[in-house]
Amino acid sequence: MILRSLWLRPTMAHPIRALLTVLGVAIGVASVLSTILASRAAVASLGSDVEVLAGGARLEVTRPGGVAVEDLEALRPVCDEALLVPVVEGAALAPALGDIVRLLGVDLLLDREVRPIELEVGDGSLEAARDAMLLADGVAISRSLADELSLGIGDSLDLVVQARECSLEVAALVEPERFGSVWDRVVLLDVALAQELLGRLDRVDRIELMPRAELELEPFAARVRELLPPTYRIRPASERREEGERMVRALEFNLTALAGVSVLVGIVLVATTLATSVVQRRAQIALLRSLGASSAQVARAVVIEAAAIGVAGGAIGVLLGWVGARAAVASVRATVATVVEGVVAGTVQLNPIWILAGLALGLLASVAAAVLPLREALRTPPLQGLRTQHSDSATRPWKGRVLTLAGLVGAAIVFVNLPPVGDRPVWALIAALCILSTLLVLAGPLVDLFARVHPASLGSGAGVPVRLAQAALEAGRGRAAWAAGAVGMAVGLAVAMTTMVGSFRKSVVDWTRQAMPSDLFVRPLATDTGALAGRIDPEVVSIARRELGDEAVDPFHQSQAYYRDQPILLGGAAFDVVAHEGGVPFLDGRSSREVFAQAVLTGGVVANEPFARRFDVSAGDRVRVETPGGTIAREVVGVYRDYSGHMGRVVLDLPDYLAHYPDEGPQSVSVFLPPAADVSSARTRLATALEGRFAVEILDNREVRAEVLEVFERTFAITIALQLISSVVAGIAVVAVLGALIHERKRELAVVRVLGGSQRQLFGLVLGEALLLGLAGTLGGLVVGVVVGYVLVTVVNLQSFGWSLQFVLPGSLLGTLLIVVPACLLSGLIPAFLSLRTPPREALRASA
Amino acid sequence: MPATDLRPVDPGRAAEQPTTMQGNQHGSRDIVELQGVERTYSRGKLSVQALREIDFVLRRRELVALVGPSGCGKSTLLNVVAAVDRATAGRVVVCGQDLERATENDLTLLRRRKIGVVFQDFQLMPNLTAEENVALPLALDGRSDPERVLELLARVGLSQRVGHFPSELSGGEQQRVAIARALVHKPELIVADEPTGNLDSGNGGYILEMLTGLRLEEGAALVLATHDPSLAERADRVVRLRDGLIVESSA
Repeated sequence: MILRSLWLRPTMAHPIRALLTVLGVAIGVASVLSTILASRAAVASLGSDVEVLAGGARLEVTRPGGVAVEDLEALRPVCDEALLVPVVEGAALAPALGDIVRLLGVDLLLDREVRPIELEVGDGSLEAARDAMLLADGVAISRSLADELSLGIGDSLDLVVQARECSLEVAALVEPERFGSVWDRVVLLDVALAQELLGRLDRVDRIELMPRAELELEPFAARVRELLPPTYRIRPASERREEGERMVRALEFNLTALAGVSVLVGIVLVATTLATSVVQRRAQIALLRSLGASSAQVARAVVIEAAAIGVAGGAIGVLLGWVGARAAVASVRATVATVVEGVVAGTVQLNPIWILAGLALGLLASVAAAVLPLREALRTPPLQGLRTQHSDSATRPWKGRVLTLAGLVGAAIVFVNLPPVGDRPVWALIAALCILSTLLVLAGPLVDLFARVHPASLGSGAGVPVRLAQAALEAGRGRAAWAAGAVGMAVGLAVAMTTMVGSFRKSVVDWTRQAMPSDLFVRPLATDTGALAGRIDPEVVSIARRELGDEAVDPFHQSQAYYRDQPILLGGAAFDVVAHEGGVPFLDGRSSREVFAQAVLTGGVVANEPFARRFDVSAGDRVRVETPGGTIAREVVGVYRDYSGHMGRVVLDLPDYLAHYPDEGPQSVSVFLPPAADVSSARTRLATALEGRFAVEILDNREVRAEVLEVFERTFAITIALQLISSVVAGIAVVAVLGALIHERKRELAVVRVLGGSQRQLFGLVLGEALLLGLAGTLGGLVVGVVVGYVLVTVVNLQSFGWSLQFVLPGSLLGTLLIVVPACLLSGLIPAFLSLRTPPREALRASA
Repeated sequence: MPATDLRPVDPGRAAEQPTTMQGNQHGSRDIVELQGVERTYSRGKLSVQALREIDFVLRRRELVALVGPSGCGKSTLLNVVAAVDRATAGRVVVCGQDLERATENDLTLLRRRKIGVVFQDFQLMPNLTAEENVALPLALDGRSDPERVLELLARVGLSQRVGHFPSELSGGEQQRVAIARALVHKPELIVADEPTGNLDSGNGGYILEMLTGLRLEEGAALVLATHDPSLAERADRVVRLRDGLIVESSA
C-alpha cells in the first residue's frame, strides 16, 4: 500500500501531465471504438442483425434477381413440413430524413409465425390497422423512425421509391426493442404493396422456410433444391449475413486498422510519460532498492501506474468513442455507399461488450507501453551505484539498433509480398506497421543528429537557447527520442495518408475525365451522404430515347449475380452506344471503341479491375456467371479501370442482360449528344418531357465529375479525421514530454535565471527544444510516411479493393514540414510558459 | 542616464535595458545596502517571517560571512542580496540599484552583469562542457570572450579539463568550474551559499583559497553563507543570524 502510494501520489501531483497522458490513451481508444461502432451502425442492414430480421426462419430460398412467383408452385410438396413466408426487401429514400429507409414487405397474416412483431395502434383498432396495410397504402414504421420524422399514426410518410414519389399512411408503429438498431429505419408493409412499389410484381426477394416441426435441415434443403430450377439457392439465413459482412469487411478492417494507429501513437505517449516518470524517480527507486525493495516490487509499482492510466484512459475513451461514433456514422456511410448500395443505417449501439473492449484496449495499450520504462526502472541500481550512471540511459548500442532496423525492414519486405488473408490486407498492414516502427529506432539517432552534430555556438545571443536546448535534449535523450518518435509517427501517418489520398484522387480525376464522357447523366435522387436509392423507371429511358434519339441514350442496368459461388455485380450497357462514344479506360491501353466493337461482334463481356484481380481473370478468359435466367458463359474481351466500387463487375451488352434479368429499370442513364448540340437545351427538353413525374436528377458532365470528386472527398473524410486525431495525440505527446523535461530541469532552468538568463531566453530554450524535437520527428516521419504511402497505394489498396492506382508523391511534403514544425513550437508554448513560473530563488534555496 | 556601468547594448536588446537605476558605483563604497529588510513567506494562513529588521552593508572588495544555525535566514538573505528574491519590506540597494523599484528585466540584467553566484552543489549544466559552463553568463549577455574563459579555467587549475562534462569531473573540480563561471563576467558582487559544504576538508580549503584569492584579484565583494568556522575566520566581517535577525556583526 505504501509502495503504491509512493508511486501514485507523485503521478497525481502532476495533474496536467497525468491528464494529458490519460487523454492520449482515451483518444486512441475512442478513435478505434468510434470507427468500429460507426461502421457497425452504418452497415446495420448488412450486419449480424440480418438473422434477427430473418426471425425464426431457418432456411431461405433466394436467386439473383429474385424468386419468381410462378416458381413458388414448385414448393407445394414441402408446404406441410415448413411454413413458406415471402419477403420483399428494398431501399427507399425518405426526403425528410435525407437518407435511406428499409422497406420490408411481408405476408402480414403468415409473418407473425416468423417474426414476433407486435403492432401498436394507439387508440385505433388492430383490425383497422391490418385492413389499412392489407387493402390500402398503410404501413407500420418503427417508433424510432416515427420519432425521427415526427410522425404519428394516421400521418403520411413520403418516400421516393424507384425514382417515383409516393405517400403512404402510417397505420401502426412497431417497437421491437429487443431487435436493436436494425429496426431503427424500417418501414413494414404488406408484401403485395412492396412488390408494387418496387416494381417486382412477378417476384419476391426471398422465401423464408420455417419448419413446422423439428427436422434435419440438410436433407430438407436438398429436397427443396430438387424442386426448384438450378439457379435457386437454398441456404441458412446466417449465410446472407456472412455475405453482407464480407462486402464491407475489407473496408471496416482498413478503417479500424487506421484507427489503430492512434492507439499506437497513444502507446508511445504513455511509454514516454512512464519513462519520464521512471527517470524522475530514479533516486527514489534507488533508495527503495537500498532499503531492500525487490525488482518485482519496483516492477509492480510501474505496472500499477500504467494500469491506472490505462483504465482511466479506457473509460474516457469509451465515452468519447460513443460520442465520436455518432458523429462519424454519416462519414462512414458515405464510404460504405461507394462499396455497397442500399445499405440502411442504424443507431450507434454501445453494449457492455464494447465498453469492456474499450477498457481492455486502454489497459493493454498502457501496460504494453510500460515495457521499456519498466526495463529502465529495473536497471536502476541501489543508491550507492546511482552516481556512476547517466540519468537517462535509454541509449542503445549502434549494433543492436542497426540489427533492429534491419529486422523491421526485412520483415516489411517479406510481409508486403504475402497474399491477403481473405479480403483483408493483414500482412501488408503489418508491413506498414513495421515501417512505421522504424521511427522508434531512428528517433534516437535523429535526436542525436540535432543535439550533437554541429552544436550551436554559445558565443552569440541567438545561439544560447539553441545550444542549451541541444544540451537539454541530450540530457533527456531517451524520452526526447520517444517524443520525436510520436511526432514522427503522426507525421508519417499524415504523409502516408496524404500520399494515398493524393494518388487516389489523381487516379480518380484522370479516370472521371476519361470514363465519363457523357453530356448528360440521369440518376435517382441521392441521400445526403451521396448514396443512390433505387432505380430509374424504365419509362424514363423510353422518354429519353424519344426526345434525344436511340443512339444517344445508354441506360446502365445492374443486378447481383454469382461467379464461382461469390456474389458479384452484373451490368448491362448499350455496347453499340459506348463503342461509338468511347471513354472507358482499359488496363491494356486499348481504345474502348476497339474493345466494345469486338464485344458486340463476338458477344463478349467486359469486366472491371476488381473482378479481374479478385478472381484472377484476364482478357481472353471465359467466365460463367449465374443469373436468374440461367448460367451464361462469355469471353472477357477487356478489363477496365473502375473506382466506383470494389465488388467485381461484369458488364454485358444490354440486350444480352435483359434476356437474363427482368427490366426493373436502369440505375443511371448516360446521354451522348452530337458534338455541336446545345447541352443546356437538351437538358431542359428532357426535363420538360419527364414532366416532373419521376424523382430523378439530370446532371451535365461537369456536375457529374464534380459530384464524383465530392463523393470522393466525403469518402475520405473519415480517413482525414483519423489522421487528425493521431496528430492531436502526437501533439499531446510533445506537450507531455516537454512538460516533463522542463519539470525535471526546474532547478537547472532556475540556475540559468540566477546567472542572468532572461525570461525570453528561457522561453527560447524551451521552444528550441520543441523545435528540435519537431524537426527530428518530422524528418523521420516524412521519409517513413512516403514509404508507408507507397505500400498503401500499391499493396493495401490493391489487396483490399482491387484498384491499381498511380503513385503520386504529394506536392505538400514541404507543406507538412511547414505545418508540423510550427505545431510543435505551438505545443511547446505551454511548457515554455510553465518554465517561466519557476522562480530563480528555487535554485539557491534548493542548494542551501 | 543610468548610473551603473551597464555595457551599451545593441538596439535589438534595448528592451532589456533597466528602467530604474539609482546610486553610482564610482561614487559609493557600498555594494549592498539593506535597511529594515523583512521577508515573509505565506502559504494559506501560515506565514513565516524569514528575515526581520535587517540592516546590512557590504562594502566594495569586502568579504562577509553569514553564519548561524540552519533555518536562521542565511539563504533568504543571500537570495535578497543576489536579486533572486524580493524583500517584503525595507530598502535593498545592490550595485547601486534600488531593487524595490526594479522590474524583472532589471533584476535579470543585474544578475547577468554585476553578480556572480557559487552554489553549494555546484549547479553546472550537465550537458555543457566545463568551458561552455564558464562561458554561459557571457553568452547569456550576448558576449563571447574565449580567452577570458580559458584564462579563468587555467587559474582554477583546469586547463586540461576544458572539454570535460561535469559528470567527468570530481566534486572539487566542478566547484572550481563554478567559481570560474561566477567570475567570468567580472562581477562586482559574488554570492556563495555554502561553497564548501559538499566537499571534503582538503578540497574545501583549496576551494576557499581560490575563491578568496580570485575575488581579491578581480576586485569583487564576496558574501557567503557558511557553517564552516575556518571559512568565517578568513572573512573581513562575520554576521551572525538567528531567527531571521542579525544578532551580531563583528570584524
